[in-house]
Order: sequence, then structure tokens, then C-alpha cells
Amino acid sequence: MIILSPWLLTEEGKYEFRQGKDAWKEAAQIAARCPHFQPDEEEEQVADENCSCYNCRYRRWTQESFLCLKL
Amino acid sequence: MKILVAIDDTDNIDSRGTGELADLLSKYLQETGWGKGGAVTRHQLLVHPDIPYTSHNSSMCFVAEIDASYLAAYIEYAGHFLEKERAEGSDPGLCVAAIEQVNFPDELIDFGYRAKQVVLTKSNAYKLAKKLDIHLSEHGGSGQGVIGALAGVALRLTANDGRFRGKLKVKSRDDLLSVGEIKKQTPVTVVKSLDDMLVLDDDSIILMGEKLKAVLLEGQCTLLVVPTGMNDPKWQSCTTSQLRKF
Repeated sequence: MIILSPWLLTEEGKYEFRQGKDAWKEAAQIAARCPHFQPDEEEEQVADENCSCYNCRYRRWTQESFLCLKL
Repeated sequence: MKILVAIDDTDNIDSRGTGELADLLSKYLQETGWGKGGAVTRHQLLVHPDIPYTSHNSSMCFVAEIDASYLAAYIEYAGHFLEKERAEGSDPGLCVAAIEQVNFPDELIDFGYRAKQVVLTKSNAYKLAKKLDIHLSEHGGSGQGVIGALAGVALRLTANDGRFRGKLKVKSRDDLLSVGEIKKQTPVTVVKSLDDMLVLDDDSIILMGEKLKAVLLEGQCTLLVVPTGMNDPKWQSCTTSQLRKF
């Protein structure tokens, strides 16, 4: 079985979430294991799960997905 | 007089958010007796590699009533406040517009919608603010936040954009509340279905979720609901993810 990393390395050397903006389950699973997760301000949260990369203050939204600023 | 106040680009990833600063600016009016600030709304702008933003590129805006004689002093205070409270590396902008005195409101609204779709410049923002006689100022860094601040005022002026900051707090038994009771307990003025924007009557019963958020639609503080798939209760409040597009 081949397990793909959830991250794509961009040309700028940043890590972008491979699965876009609607992978709610995966974003929650990754955040649950992440030592850097910090919830963003309430008004910037978009996921139903409290602990999700989509709700993290260290994600930076891109047109297709987000960059993790802690990787 | 009624004014719109918007700020943008005041934070960095470790600081408190722009929404909190907007809330403090809104509350300041009551504290001084100069007027009364309203609830803050968050407006999503374009996410694009050519736009510098912290993590989400959103602007914060509120409506306020102010005694006209205090307007100049309030604008001065707000500018100093941003200079004092801005996070390192941020580029704050402040926009204040007297709603009834905005010349060419259609042009302003067009700017707001364009800020969601294309990359705009400070020059674009300053030119329009000057033409429309709207206060626009920068308060540190590159001042790039003037674009989002002007767009925030514009989008709030549409009366059809953005989510209200904060969660609604309600008291209910078994998480069930009538629309009438929701209106009594919260700033919500209308409850609508997400799919077809049907207005629910005051007797409709809503199953209330954990995180209750209101959006700005047709000038109203609106709670959106979706069908439960059951007959009773027939409706439940939208989840956070269902409100992402607002």
C-alpha cells in the first residue's frame, strides 16, 4: 500500500495541504496529531470540528487549499 | 449620524485578531458617550499570491451612531488606536464613511465586490475614497490595509455580505427554540432556510446546534437553518462549515 503525504512542497518551500478546502475529516485527523495546533480567532474558524487544520491560526489560505506555517 | 467603520490588516499569526480590535473600537463609542457602536461583521476578500495577508484576508466592519461633533475626534482616536495596537509586521488601514453622505454608493459597492475577485492597489482605494469623500488612512507598515478597509465598508454597505463576529448565546430546553424566542434572546431579526431563503414564522421550532452564527443578509442579522429530515423539529441551525461561503 502506498501512503501519500497530505502535504505538497511548493516552489517557495512551503507545505500545502494536498486535499483542498473540503477534506473536513482529514484536516481534523491531522490537527488531532499536530503539536502546533492552535485555534484561530472564532470568526476565522470554518470547520465544525474544533480541532482541525481548517481552524488553526497557523494555516494560511491559498486559492486551492492552505499552507501550514509550522511545517 | 450613522457611520460605517472598517479596519484591516492589523494582526500577525501570533497576535489577537482584527475582529477583536474592531470590537474594541465599536465599544469605545459607548464608553465615551460619543455614540453607539454595533456588531462587527467579517468580510472575505480575495485570497491571491500577490496579496499580502496573514492567513485569511478578511476585513472587519461595524455600523455606529455618533454625534457628528465627535466624528473627527473619533477618527483621530481610531487611527492612534491602530498605531498602538497593531501587531508587528502588519499594515493597518482605517475607513470611516458617513452612510447618508456617500457619493456614488454603487461605485463603492463595486469596489467591494471587485476586492473579492481581483487584486486591487492602494492607489485604487485612495482614488475612490477621495472621489466619494470617505475617510481612508493607513497606520503603519506598508498601509496596504487601506484596500481591505475600504472594501469592508463597501461590503457592509451591500447589506448582503459577511458573518457576524461571535457566537449567539441562547437558553433552551432540549436545544429546541421557536423562531420568536430566538429573536427575543439574540440580535437575530430573521430566520431563513439556507437552500431557498424561505423566511420561517415565529412559531417554527429550531433544533439549535453548538455553534450558532448569524450572517448579514438583506440588512438583517440572519440565522440560517437547514432541514433536519424529520417532521418535528423540521429545522436545525447551520453548522460552521455550512456558513463558510458567507
